[in-house]
Amino acid sequence: MLFLFIIVPLVLAGLLPLLGKVSKRLLPDLLASAAMLFLLVLAVFSARPLIADGGIIQQAFWFGAPLNIRLLLDGFSLFMLFTISLVSFAVTLYSINYMEHYGAKANYYALLLVMIAGMNGLVLSSDLFTIYVFLEVAAIASYALVAFGRGHDELEASFKYLMLSAVASAFVLLSIAVIFGVSGGVSFGVVAQGLKTLNIKTVVGFCSGLFLAGFGLKAALVPFHSWLPDAHPSAPAPISAMLSGVLIKVSGVYAMTRIFLGVFGLTPALTTVLTIMGIVSIFVGALAALGQNDIKRMLAYSSISQIGYVVLGFGIGTPLGILGGLFHLFNHALFKSLLFLNAGAVEQSTGTRSLDKMGGLAKVMPLTAATSAVGSLSIAGVPPLNGFWSKLLIIIALVQARMHVLAVLAVLGSVITLWYYLVLQHQAFFGKLNEAWQGVKEAPFWMSAATVLLALLCIVTGLAFSFVIRSWLQPAADVLGQGVGVALNFIGF
Amino acid sequence: MHLFLLIGLLAFSVLAVLLRDLLKSAISLAVASIFLALLFFLMNAVYAGVFEISVVAGLITVLFITAITLTRGDGDVAESRKHRIIFPLFFLVLAVVDLLVMKKLLGQIPAIQGSESGTFSQVLWNQRTFDLVGQVGAISAGVLAVLALFRRDDMHGTASKGGSHE
Repeated sequence: MLFLFIIVPLVLAGLLPLLGKVSKRLLPDLLASAAMLFLLVLAVFSARPLIADGGIIQQAFWFGAPLNIRLLLDGFSLFMLFTISLVSFAVTLYSINYMEHYGAKANYYALLLVMIAGMNGLVLSSDLFTIYVFLEVAAIASYALVAFGRGHDELEASFKYLMLSAVASAFVLLSIAVIFGVSGGVSFGVVAQGLKTLNIKTVVGFCSGLFLAGFGLKAALVPFHSWLPDAHPSAPAPISAMLSGVLIKVSGVYAMTRIFLGVFGLTPALTTVLTIMGIVSIFVGALAALGQNDIKRMLAYSSISQIGYVVLGFGIGTPLGILGGLFHLFNHALFKSLLFLNAGAVEQSTGTRSLDKMGGLAKVMPLTAATSAVGSLSIAGVPPLNGFWSKLLIIIALVQARMHVLAVLAVLGSVITLWYYLVLQHQAFFGKLNEAWQGVKEAPFWMSAATVLLALLCIVTGLAFSFVIRSWLQPAADVLGQGVGVALNFIGF
Repeated sequence: MHLFLLIGLLAFSVLAVLLRDLLKSAISLAVASIFLALLFFLMNAVYAGVFEISVVAGLITVLFITAITLTRGDGDVAESRKHRIIFPLFFLVLAVVDLLVMKKLLGQIPAIQGSESGTFSQVLWNQRTFDLVGQVGAISAGVLAVLALFRRDDMHGTASKGGSHE
């Protein structure tokens, strides 16, 4: 059953370019949205009961015949599958209207589906090398999606992203090669067992450094962030939402966390490095966002800042810190996707991304303005919205871990976040309506439906945060809290 | 057999550096890596062979070809004649050094305690089946990328973004 998370999007991606010849719009829209809804339902109703007694390794089947593929599902991977499916579903709905301007919808959906298959494969993998392979699957699709508009900026951003991402992949691959050399295997269990037995701190430190650089580049952590402010704004809005909303988290944060916490085991040195990188990312991202005039570029810098919170939470390493990091990862997937989709709606209606030229758009785009306000307040950590609770958990975890200075800095980072999001709201939506935008209309139905869905989720997640924590986050936090114990349980499977 | 493969590996590696057409150069590199993978198999390093074929000949070639297709063909950079002389010279010096010292150095490597087992087909089909699915995904992504980026503009519009109000 778990294999469906990979094979359904992959098979559909293969069929879509052919089906696109028959129906340019309706069939691709329908099939892509149906596939995303199917994956979301699969994650919520079919996959969740499987982890009732802890993580499982499930063998894959192809038309009834067993395959030599074993997929790992535990609280952490299920949480990621749910997040990917949820954001992908909203993005697909939004694309129905938004991608009309670009043409080649079937190819667009096919690439999006391959990217999702890559992310799902990465999350379900129990093996370092397979993580690398699926990391590349998602990455190759994302290069093409960033360049999908084929304008000069898109191609330049995609090329820059490709080059830096290739460097990241080289770091990751080199580290896997060294680990394979010393431990004799690449599966999580064998590596965890091998490293535990051999006690080779220098080699583990070297490999950790390589992984940190590789996955740090994928997650756009400071100082590996330079590609993101170009790549994310240049992509079509739904792809910006996917990249900032989930891809950097899956290929950067998830992979890093799974390996550091679940295979290597979190050491005091790694805690120090991760917390420092987290707090520096929060400030560099936030201060850079403050100075932006391009709405999508501001959101891109904001992603760097918010990923800093997630890594800071994981870096603390305490159960509460991990829980806060996971919660913020989920929340950021919701509100950053929402904000990018709103930015896309504004750009499509006005033809500009420049905040200077906007103003008063709330009068002509009330739904977009309202959902954008929800997203902005959520990301800034205003109670009772979801961002408030995740940041609060991280700050409490910092205080409990006696990292008081970092706790104060995290609060300060949140204040700066509120500042630049108020600037964004004020310049884009409030004040007097710019005469040029008198004829502007609200975003079309499916675009609005997607943003309303995400805005409602931000509100509901905030109000029902204890339910979300109990049902989705705690199982994931428990897995990470067990450290290498989870990997060691799966030796021989 | 080993000698034939080594000559093939060297010849295509040199071609990868010397060819000015980037696409041909990337393909030469992929062929060189296939020769290297075959050498790995003959030397019983089956895992290394499978990884070499899947990563270098497969994934990295797809990456290179995607990168080349993302760049425009009119960006040829003039190369100075110095570079054309330096590489073969460097290559010759390295070959001489290899002949003189590598045999001695190789003898100093401790016995590897790895536990590689199985034939090529066993490793590829039975042990790394999940990676094969990933390979299919990577190649699909590459093909779809070319289809998407080299598409003809259809009736719904062009690559341009945004509306018409500005």
